[in-house]
Amino acid sequence: MSNSPEQPIAEQPIVNRIAKLARIHLDQQQLESSGNKLEQILDFVSQLEQVEISEDVSPFFGAIESVNAIREDQLTPSVSREKILDNAPESDGEFYLVPPVFRNTDS
Amino acid sequence: MTLSALNADVIVDKLNTGEVTATDCVQHFLDRIQSHNGDLNAFISISESAVEQAESIDQLRKAGKPLGCLAGLPIAIKDGICVAGQPTTAGSKMLEKFSPPYDATIVEKLKSAGAVIIGKTNMDEFAMGSSTENSFFGPTANPWATNRVPGGSSGGSAACVAGRLAPVAIGSDTGGSIRQPASFCGITGLKPTYGSVSRYGLIAFASSLDQIGPMTRTAKESALLMSVIAGFDPRDSTSSKIQVADFLKSLESPLSGLRIGVVREHLDEGLDSEVNTKITDSISVFKQLGANIEEIEMPHTKSAIAAYYIIAPCEASSNLARYDGVRYTFRAQADDLEEMYRNTRGQGFGDEVKQRIMLGTYALSSGYYEAYYLKASKVRRMIKQDYDEAFQKVDLILGPTTPTTAFKLGQHTQDPLAMYLADIYTVSANLAGIPAISVPVEPSSNGLPIGLQLQGRAYEESSLLQAAHQFQIATSWHTANPSEPWRTQS
Repeated sequence: MSNSPEQPIAEQPIVNRIAKLARIHLDQQQLESSGNKLEQILDFVSQLEQVEISEDVSPFFGAIESVNAIREDQLTPSVSREKILDNAPESDGEFYLVPPVFRNTDS
Repeated sequence: MTLSALNADVIVDKLNTGEVTATDCVQHFLDRIQSHNGDLNAFISISESAVEQAESIDQLRKAGKPLGCLAGLPIAIKDGICVAGQPTTAGSKMLEKFSPPYDATIVEKLKSAGAVIIGKTNMDEFAMGSSTENSFFGPTANPWATNRVPGGSSGGSAACVAGRLAPVAIGSDTGGSIRQPASFCGITGLKPTYGSVSRYGLIAFASSLDQIGPMTRTAKESALLMSVIAGFDPRDSTSSKIQVADFLKSLESPLSGLRIGVVREHLDEGLDSEVNTKITDSISVFKQLGANIEEIEMPHTKSAIAAYYIIAPCEASSNLARYDGVRYTFRAQADDLEEMYRNTRGQGFGDEVKQRIMLGTYALSSGYYEAYYLKASKVRRMIKQDYDEAFQKVDLILGPTTPTTAFKLGQHTQDPLAMYLADIYTVSANLAGIPAISVPVEPSSNGLPIGLQLQGRAYEESSLLQAAHQFQIATSWHTANPSEPWRTQS
């Protein structure tokens, strides 16, 4: 993206692009409303720019005990394929089925 | 006294002595749900097998078989937590038909302790919200005044405990989603330390902030539930191996010498004056109980909401990528795969969820990461450091849970920022990973509950429960029930 954080996000091409990246279809009205709300929230969070952060502050990503969780690589019973596929919108009993990856352009 | 008026520990005693059967107990609460859920909309679904489970517990008891510590106790579970074979929607159209193939670890633990799941409670979609108005299944009403919100996102769990449709419930808390509704509904709600309760089977919103916890009338009941649900789980890689404390045992210790910190700014700016008065009054109760009150500073917590509304949406945008129309029941019509993703997510998610995914996608997109996510994560470190320093001087931090009492349905739906600020005092604990509890204090003059928040050091839930329990011995605010029929206005 060529836009900088200072540019107003409600400008449509950016909102369009975010919706595309997020794989969310929004109609014209939703795009506008989403852009306005994003603008409002980004304006609010811009207060973080005022926080003085010294060089030695490392980011904190959350987990209190930052250690790798390792375990023995052992086979244990897992949920059956049949049960998992019960929640699939479409399956052939073995695989998930999805619409064509490429649209047929011949017709 | 009817069963619904009793606390869970008393109900368990009566079940153990045979004074009440599990079947009667479960039926009693199912009847209350039948009569009152129409007004409250606290439950999204009711368990069809609850009575059957209760009957089998009664049979086991009759046969003298060993039973778990919650045998026959009804419990409500937030609908963002998986219960095998029961609808688990997370309040979303996207998961309207979803039936989990497995139990969440906490559900497995509750079941093996003999608890009977009576239903799944309403929530803001994917736990995104502070009022339960973002549910695909309609808003939940606050039993103290049904024109008001119960808070959120665990609003259904809070409303059903306050309205006595279930003795106890389970919620989840990403930025205040247990404590804020507990405060609005006049109950006790504990957000445990990040890692002390397994998140396996919790539908993820923001994985570094999400935590499951109890929502009950008393601290003692929360301690009882914590003694069942806390502990290491190999299926959650962030789960802690620290020895689980004896939550019930430590409740009875007196508070003499306990050092409680109060952040002066949290009692000034933006705080409703009545909430201020009641919280200040409660400080005197803790003094009488032998605690020493000290003023402390938490200079970076004022940036907590801003940091949270970057970090949580970033994590959400990644977590919710899985809802693509391939695996989880809902799929919108489309001619090709890409369009299927876009239409499914456009139609399956509600407005607030789409908004937060958009925000997170933007903040994580190329060129923006440092300005938003990285910066917010550094501010998060500074907030954690504020806590580390504070906890060198004091044992607990006391303040209001929320800046106001429950607001009216529809009051903030058009103003996301006003809604976000309902969590101003609660999000910091999630950012730092520490435990925090909300307990009821004296209600407002118009009869709405007010919550007091206590925050503690990581893995020191037992101190929070102890302080809350001692406060509840000295006060009776937690015993108040909303009048029936529910007030419709306040």
